[in-house]
Amino acid sequence: MFISSFIYIFGETIKGLYRNRWMCITSTGVVVVTILMLGVFMVVNLNLSHITESVKEQVEIVVWIDEDADHSTLSALDEKLSRHAEVDEISYVSSEEHMGRLQEQLERAGRGSGILEGYDTSLDNPLLASYEIKTVVPELVVTLADEFETYPGVDEVSYGRGYVENLFAVTGVVQIIGLALMAGLSVTAVFLISHTIKLTVMMRKREITIMKYVGATNWFIRWPFLLEGLLMGFLGAVIPMALLYYIYQLSIEWIAANDLMFISPLPLEMIMIELSKYLVPLGTGLGMLGSTFSMGRFLRV
Amino acid sequence: MVEAQNMYMRYHKGEQYALENVNFTIDRSEFVFFVGSSGAGKSTLLKLIIREILPSSGKLKVFNRDVTRLPRHRLPYLRRNIGMVFQDFRLMEERTVYDNVAFAMIVIGSSRKEIRRRVPHVLKLVGLQDKAKVKITDLSGGEQQRVGLARAIANRPAMIIADEPTGNLDPGTALDIMNLLHNINLRGTTVLVATHNRDIVDRFKKRVLYFENGQLVGDELKGIYSNVH
Repeated sequence: MFISSFIYIFGETIKGLYRNRWMCITSTGVVVVTILMLGVFMVVNLNLSHITESVKEQVEIVVWIDEDADHSTLSALDEKLSRHAEVDEISYVSSEEHMGRLQEQLERAGRGSGILEGYDTSLDNPLLASYEIKTVVPELVVTLADEFETYPGVDEVSYGRGYVENLFAVTGVVQIIGLALMAGLSVTAVFLISHTIKLTVMMRKREITIMKYVGATNWFIRWPFLLEGLLMGFLGAVIPMALLYYIYQLSIEWIAANDLMFISPLPLEMIMIELSKYLVPLGTGLGMLGSTFSMGRFLRV
Repeated sequence: MVEAQNMYMRYHKGEQYALENVNFTIDRSEFVFFVGSSGAGKSTLLKLIIREILPSSGKLKVFNRDVTRLPRHRLPYLRRNIGMVFQDFRLMEERTVYDNVAFAMIVIGSSRKEIRRRVPHVLKLVGLQDKAKVKITDLSGGEQQRVGLARAIANRPAMIIADEPTGNLDPGTALDIMNLLHNINLRGTTVLVATHNRDIVDRFKKRVLYFENGQLVGDELKGIYSNVH
């Protein structure tokens, strides 16, 4: 093939986009909106699963030790917990350490150690010693907590009851809704792109007919339309990426400005890499797929 | 060049034949009129020759190749040897004369150098050398058909097929177009013209294939429309 063919194909692509510019802008706009929605959802989902993961990691079982338990019961309990197959990490926290933590917390809260002043913590410590346990599988926290409660020498077991169950339920539901939404939006995008390119193909039906009569090969006829779809899809992915970049940056700044850092959003670069991995191939792929769908009929001259 | 043997064509099963038992041979460099009233089968025959459709039965050879056995991907290469001229011109109206002719060359992959040399040449042949930069919509009907002709000969086809090329033109302009086709034929290109323009057929005294209800009812050298009618 000669250079003239390449020039022609690229020229036709650009001309085609320009001549049907309003339709192309409209359909690219639809892709932009679709991918933007998808992108926003992905950002939320990524952050949500990030939060879930970090919360999951923080979820631990606290086994409070009965202060009246004798030495042999305690060593038996220590062994039982340490050797449990579902236990990942276990650490012993003495009642003195708990008191220390309490003092620290109070100081950090700005109340100084005033409340505990004059209180000899080494003599009369009401706090119990405990084991802090991380499980291998975070979702097993509830079952394990129930099990540990039956062990001798255990006063009480706590694990953020309710909070943990709710968190897992919510993330599960959000992920299902998100996946359904993603699938629906993708189908809509394919439909809209193929429909738009079908319209542009129809507008150039005469040219295609002439090309067929003159003896152009099917691939030669296809290329400009494929490229057109590809470009629309690519633009339809890149524009929302740029928008998302700024929206996300602003959100991070807003979160920081409002002292909401406990939300701990994922870093911007990481989000953008993650988004470009999916959205750009998706957009261009949808564009090319759309143009392929819409052309078959017109090539049979 | 074109050879039909016991060729039948019908568009749908159970329908009447559009062409029935057609036999003829057209040699290289011939000028042939296909005449007959509308629905007689002329257009069907032209579509068969460019293999837009396939015959229901019988044989049709174009350039000594059986078109019924031509694989689909070879079709563009058959068409590159045939220049088509249409009653409604089928030009890209928003583009210039030059672009319309160059288009035919670009889409079959001609080099830029070749295009720059060939387009002015064919425009001169049809007398449009001064209108290269004019938009199609700013041309008269006769001029538009000249562009159609220029496009048809741009790729040096061995054969020109014209379907009612003068159907939309006034008699004077029609004659100009026919003269151009005649000149093209004199340079060795086979020319097939489907028409029901009696004056033109009578004036040029070329071979005439006369069709009636899908049947070839007359084949005369130096034919006259009224003779076969």
